[in-house]
Amino acid sequence: MEQPERSTSLAHVRVEDLTVAYEKPKQAGTFTAISRMNLDVARGTFVTIVGPSGCGKSSLLMAVAGLVKPAGGRVLVNGQPVTGPGRERAMVFQDFALMPWRTVLDNVRFGLELQRWTGEDLTARARRYVDLVGLTGFEHYHPHQLSGGMKQRVGIARALAVDPEILLLDEPFGALDAQTRDQMGTELLAIWERSRKTALFVTHGIDEAILLGDRVVVMASKPGRIVETMQVELPRPRTLEMMDSDRYVAYRRRIRACLAGEQREERATIPRY
Amino acid sequence: MAVLVVLAVWEIAPRVGAIDPAYTSQPSKVIAAGIQIVRSGGLLEDISVSLAEFAAGFALAIIVGVPLGLLLGTFRVLRYLLDPPIMAIYATPHLALLPILVVWLGIGMQSKIAVVFVGGVIPIVVNSIAGVREVESSWIAAARSLCAREWDVFAKVILPASLPAVVLGIRLGLSRAVLGVVVAEMFQSQAGIGNRIMRYGSEFRTDYLLFYVLLVSVFSFTATWSVRALEDKLWTSGK
Repeated sequence: MEQPERSTSLAHVRVEDLTVAYEKPKQAGTFTAISRMNLDVARGTFVTIVGPSGCGKSSLLMAVAGLVKPAGGRVLVNGQPVTGPGRERAMVFQDFALMPWRTVLDNVRFGLELQRWTGEDLTARARRYVDLVGLTGFEHYHPHQLSGGMKQRVGIARALAVDPEILLLDEPFGALDAQTRDQMGTELLAIWERSRKTALFVTHGIDEAILLGDRVVVMASKPGRIVETMQVELPRPRTLEMMDSDRYVAYRRRIRACLAGEQREERATIPRY
Repeated sequence: MAVLVVLAVWEIAPRVGAIDPAYTSQPSKVIAAGIQIVRSGGLLEDISVSLAEFAAGFALAIIVGVPLGLLLGTFRVLRYLLDPPIMAIYATPHLALLPILVVWLGIGMQSKIAVVFVGGVIPIVVNSIAGVREVESSWIAAARSLCAREWDVFAKVILPASLPAVVLGIRLGLSRAVLGVVVAEMFQSQAGIGNRIMRYGSEFRTDYLLFYVLLVSVFSFTATWSVRALEDKLWTSGK
């Protein structure tokens, strides 16, 4: 069963009529995080998803990761419906989600152990990825001995070590200070340029979304949905200096307008309560 | 320093007649009593009886308590079923169960082992449950996102993450278990440290009595201290 040429035109990740709902704690009924969303992500592209808190952007990522079951619709990866986590996807978490009892090296080894990698020394492989994110010399440190930026480097190394096709990043730099965030973004791009894995990057920073993405998806809340998707026509490799270009400023203005417009609508609905 | 002052006062006060030595004895007399007890040869037997009761009961408490706690922490349904009875036992002074345990198991070692077990097992279970429930959900999400199977989630996340709480439970259970063995022997028994304490108490042999008390506190202190050292090690590597 070969699918030659056609598979390249196929979306790498396809979100089809996706609804994600959670049970409300301690009361009846559900909370709809995402309502009937559609999105196609082409192989090798870096897509950023920006929106206010509670717009369901993290839920979207969780659904793609296979960590939450959709209430409706589905997610397709390589044309196959997602039923749970898979080896072709790996995730980077906002709070790093490192195991505090494991060293840097052992945290990076974690996914390799879970996926029972063989045919290669796991420690040697983990060491290569520790090196890739610039943490050589810190292999035997525990997470509590590292700064936030270093912790997230470990998180990124752990995700990359299992060689996924798709990288899911859930506000990975959200817990970092502004300067570290810029630096980490630049480094992430440098790593990404080399492998060109498909990336879904959730953020609430507009600048981060434009600077990293080939495409920016703007989401709004209540219910979570896409209000705009925008191609970013800035050359790669991207640099922080591009933030001063006219084109960049225009992108930012447009995204701001989208988000502000949504907020105005939201405010207009409040008096009904 | 404070210890030395207390010892000095304790030694001198009865000598100058400030307090009746029959009530407090004196450090020098306690040491003398200790030497005599060791010489007479009965000590080793008492220690081995008490220690055997303690070891059997507490080992049983760990063997039962840790898996039970981890299981209850993991499965909500089990927790709902078993939480009320466990809380009821937790709230009950376990020594209050002693008479009924003696009725069931007799005045031999079995009833002591049972008291030690009941005293030790509850803190172990309760803390193991808390340990599992306090595992960061993002650690579990990270493991699942990397295709962890259910068993891996348990063995590689839940177990190591709750280990410090489990060891804390063991430390808290330890003092209750020591209390259990001593009081149970005082209550009704033919041998053991508690039995000696009770006997010399009723004979007003304060010096002998205090030597045995000292023995128990040294043991309890050492055991608690070693578990705490283990705990500190787990926390520093786990923070």
